[in-house]
Amino acid sequence: MVQDSLLSDELLQHLMAVGQVDVLVGVPTLNNATTVGGVVRAAHQAFGRYFPRDRTVLINSDGGSEDGTPAVVRDCAVDDQDTFTVSHTLRTVHRITTPYHGVAGKGNALRQILAAADLTQARAVVVLDADVSSVTPEWVAALIRPLREQQFDYVTPIYPRHPLDGPLVTQMIRPLIDAVYGWRIREPLAGEFGCSQRFVTHCLEQDVWLGPLARYGIDLWVTGTAFAGGFRCCQTPLGPRRSAGHTGLSFQELFQQVVGAAFECLEEHAAFWVPRAAAEPLPMVGELPAAGEDAPAVDAGRLTQAFCTDIEQLQPVLRSILSADTLDSLNALAHQDCERLRYPDDLWVSTVYEFLVAHHRGVMRRDHITQALIPLYLGRTGSFLTQWADRSPAEVDAALESLGLQFERSKPWLVERWGEGQR
Amino acid sequence: MSETADSPADPVWYKDAIIYQLHVKSFADSNGDGVGDFRGLTGRLDYLRDLGVDCLWLLPMYPSPFRDDGYDIADYCSIHPSYGTLEDFREFLGEAHARGLRVITELVLNHTSDQHAWFQEARSSRDNPRRDWYVWSDTDDRYAGVRIIFLDTERSNWAWDPESKQYYWHRFFSHQPDLNFDNPAVREEIWKVMKFWLDLGVDGFRVDAVPYLIEREGTSCENLPETHDVLKFLRARLNEHFTGKVLLAEANQWPEDVRHYFGDGDEFHMAFHFPLMPRMFMAVRLEDRKPLVEIVERTPGIPETCQWGIFLRNHDELTLEMVTNLERDFMYEEYARDPVARINLGIRRRLAPLLEADRRRIELMNGLLMTLPGSPIIYYGDEIGMGDNIYLGDRNGVRTPMQWSGGWNAGFSTADPERLAQPLISNALYGYQAVNVESQRRSEHSLLNWMRRLINIRKSTRVFSRGATTFLKPANHRVLAYLRTLGAEQVLVVCNLSSSAQAVELDLRFLAGAIPIEMFGKSLFPRIGELPYMLTLGPYHFYWFKLRRL
Repeated sequence: MVQDSLLSDELLQHLMAVGQVDVLVGVPTLNNATTVGGVVRAAHQAFGRYFPRDRTVLINSDGGSEDGTPAVVRDCAVDDQDTFTVSHTLRTVHRITTPYHGVAGKGNALRQILAAADLTQARAVVVLDADVSSVTPEWVAALIRPLREQQFDYVTPIYPRHPLDGPLVTQMIRPLIDAVYGWRIREPLAGEFGCSQRFVTHCLEQDVWLGPLARYGIDLWVTGTAFAGGFRCCQTPLGPRRSAGHTGLSFQELFQQVVGAAFECLEEHAAFWVPRAAAEPLPMVGELPAAGEDAPAVDAGRLTQAFCTDIEQLQPVLRSILSADTLDSLNALAHQDCERLRYPDDLWVSTVYEFLVAHHRGVMRRDHITQALIPLYLGRTGSFLTQWADRSPAEVDAALESLGLQFERSKPWLVERWGEGQR
Repeated sequence: MSETADSPADPVWYKDAIIYQLHVKSFADSNGDGVGDFRGLTGRLDYLRDLGVDCLWLLPMYPSPFRDDGYDIADYCSIHPSYGTLEDFREFLGEAHARGLRVITELVLNHTSDQHAWFQEARSSRDNPRRDWYVWSDTDDRYAGVRIIFLDTERSNWAWDPESKQYYWHRFFSHQPDLNFDNPAVREEIWKVMKFWLDLGVDGFRVDAVPYLIEREGTSCENLPETHDVLKFLRARLNEHFTGKVLLAEANQWPEDVRHYFGDGDEFHMAFHFPLMPRMFMAVRLEDRKPLVEIVERTPGIPETCQWGIFLRNHDELTLEMVTNLERDFMYEEYARDPVARINLGIRRRLAPLLEADRRRIELMNGLLMTLPGSPIIYYGDEIGMGDNIYLGDRNGVRTPMQWSGGWNAGFSTADPERLAQPLISNALYGYQAVNVESQRRSEHSLLNWMRRLINIRKSTRVFSRGATTFLKPANHRVLAYLRTLGAEQVLVVCNLSSSAQAVELDLRFLAGAIPIEMFGKSLFPRIGELPYMLTLGPYHFYWFKLRRL
């Protein structure tokens, strides 16, 4: 009944007034009052500049913000002079802000947005992250064009950034996702995406929405679902992404959520990726942007030191997860000079895959498994930064590409072990 | 779905098909001789693909003396020379398949023409080896009491053959002697005929007059167990040699009798639902859902692999055999006040004239056709609202040339108008200058374009073709409402059968929480709750609501 529905009567009344739409922009929020105004303005400007004849709606799904986020969404004025003179829309632009109910998390907000898109038969849907201060109208246009002009079902962004930026993505999530799913994607964790109505309906039919993936890993799940569902996917460049970064999480919590979500996604989509032989580049619509110039400042020595210290304490746990060869190699690394630690690609790939298999087999509580991976990740990241910090972005890119290929070459090993896990 | 007829396909494709029935003779003439032909038809396949239909059903295309418009076949394994050659047919079939269109042809197995070589041999002497391929008698009193089908022309089911000096049995015209299916050689020969066309690539047969294959003294000679044995034999042969083919039964009987023709899924794949059709017309004229609901609820279940074929009009008269006398009188008075429109036990009119060219009623009837259980069959020309000519004799008035344009011979043929095999409809209301494909293509709101949209929506879901049907029975009897359900998918159909605006309260508590989305405009309607669901509908207006739970 109504109480069980994703859509309150009030929201449904709004949607009935909106009717069928051509473009729907969804903005999930939770305490984003400082940045969400910019996102709403960018979306409205996009409606005026790029979709002036279309039926459009912006839907903000809020998880109970206490900083006045819904009021900002409701009240924010579109002050672009062009909007009123040159490129205003011919139709009424609808803006809806609505609370979602149930467990807090982006998954529930996204589900409500997708449900609204399904009901309004939206032909193109864009989801924007409310935490980002650099969204422009062109982002919306770029995420929609491949859907409308080339009939793609899922469009994922590429941001220009330095290859040493975001090591959790570059060292682990991206090469793992690329190799296993068999699609080389630049930003598997992007908070923005565009998608077709067909994909919206497919997502809503999945069984993910009440589980932990919906709370912690919905962005990655959406990407994996697009791959696993055989949808036409592409990536397109957007501008630099500047996030307010207000997750309120420690690094350890963030790591466990992201890596746990990646492992869960791979578990869910195993029927798709196990038989898939080779990886191929995800189609690109637009030009690959140049790398960002500013390399992040990170104390690599602190990272490698954490590796050398913690690996000793984790021996009993690691023995349950890793093969003897891999553990021996890691122990040998830890007994070398920590400041000059060299954690080679092949050993890192074996480490990640063996953790993934252990997660699959459930050799211990899964959050303990991901927690045990943290010092190894720190060691690998510290090692990589030490080795490549002074090199040019192109050289770093080449090193990351080499790491990706190592993940791909080792996939048959993973597939074999995965099957053993089934037996 | 863009599955082509040549691709590995769902073997029960016919359950989702929309079938288009056409007469090669009347569809398009490529060589200017005034008679439609296969090359002409091939040139019009894009039109049929764009309309959205999946399967073409061709009326008889075989050599024939044409005393029953081709249903009197003189050679089963050839093409009538007026329609082209076997090579033309092959090319047509390939082009149809390339467009994802399947093709089924007529299999008239109850009888042949008296000009068929088999009958000529059989009548040549009583000792001829083919004598026993037909049913002979020294007297005309065997099988007494068996009804005569063509009451307007025949007085007996027996005809005297002056050559061999015996009577022969015929259930239809006297020039159509019945084959003797008690003879195994006849069964084998008919299978050879089927295999010939299936090997060429046809996708199945509409099997004509199936209840009458076997005769037994003291019975009605209809629907006999031995007839089912013949049909099971042919189906078994089909299954041995082919997959993905369909047999569609013409058995103008009550649903409980037709049910036997599905067997346990080992006779016909499909059968026409004859009694449904007149009741759709009755319901609209009576402004009351009763006759329609009754017949659907009276229809027994059929095996999972089977499907009903439902239709509004076809090449024959609007048959009133499967109605009561009271109902027949009503139908005649309401739909055939001019006695010339009546023939046999039916009405020889097309859809649009039956509905007085009322666009709203035409839309309502097509809406019913697309949503009631079964695979819909559209009769050529009805998608543009073509008219008829009841003065042409027999049922030729509903078989006039397809009206492609307002130009020379309606774009059907370049022949002199006097040479056309059938005259064109040329009156002010239905004439080809007013009703034609070309002009309707140009108008977004034409009947043709509306039909395309209707078909497209019908094909957007399998709930109409495979779903269960539950009638809701609101207090307002002028409103017909039913729920189609397939798994989690549900569509609610609500139709105003009357000529005036109606309000209706539907008890939809069992659907509480669902959100109706109107399927044509994709508009959202208020969520269904515990209170009666109120709708208002204009005259003959209908809604299809997809129900979503989110």
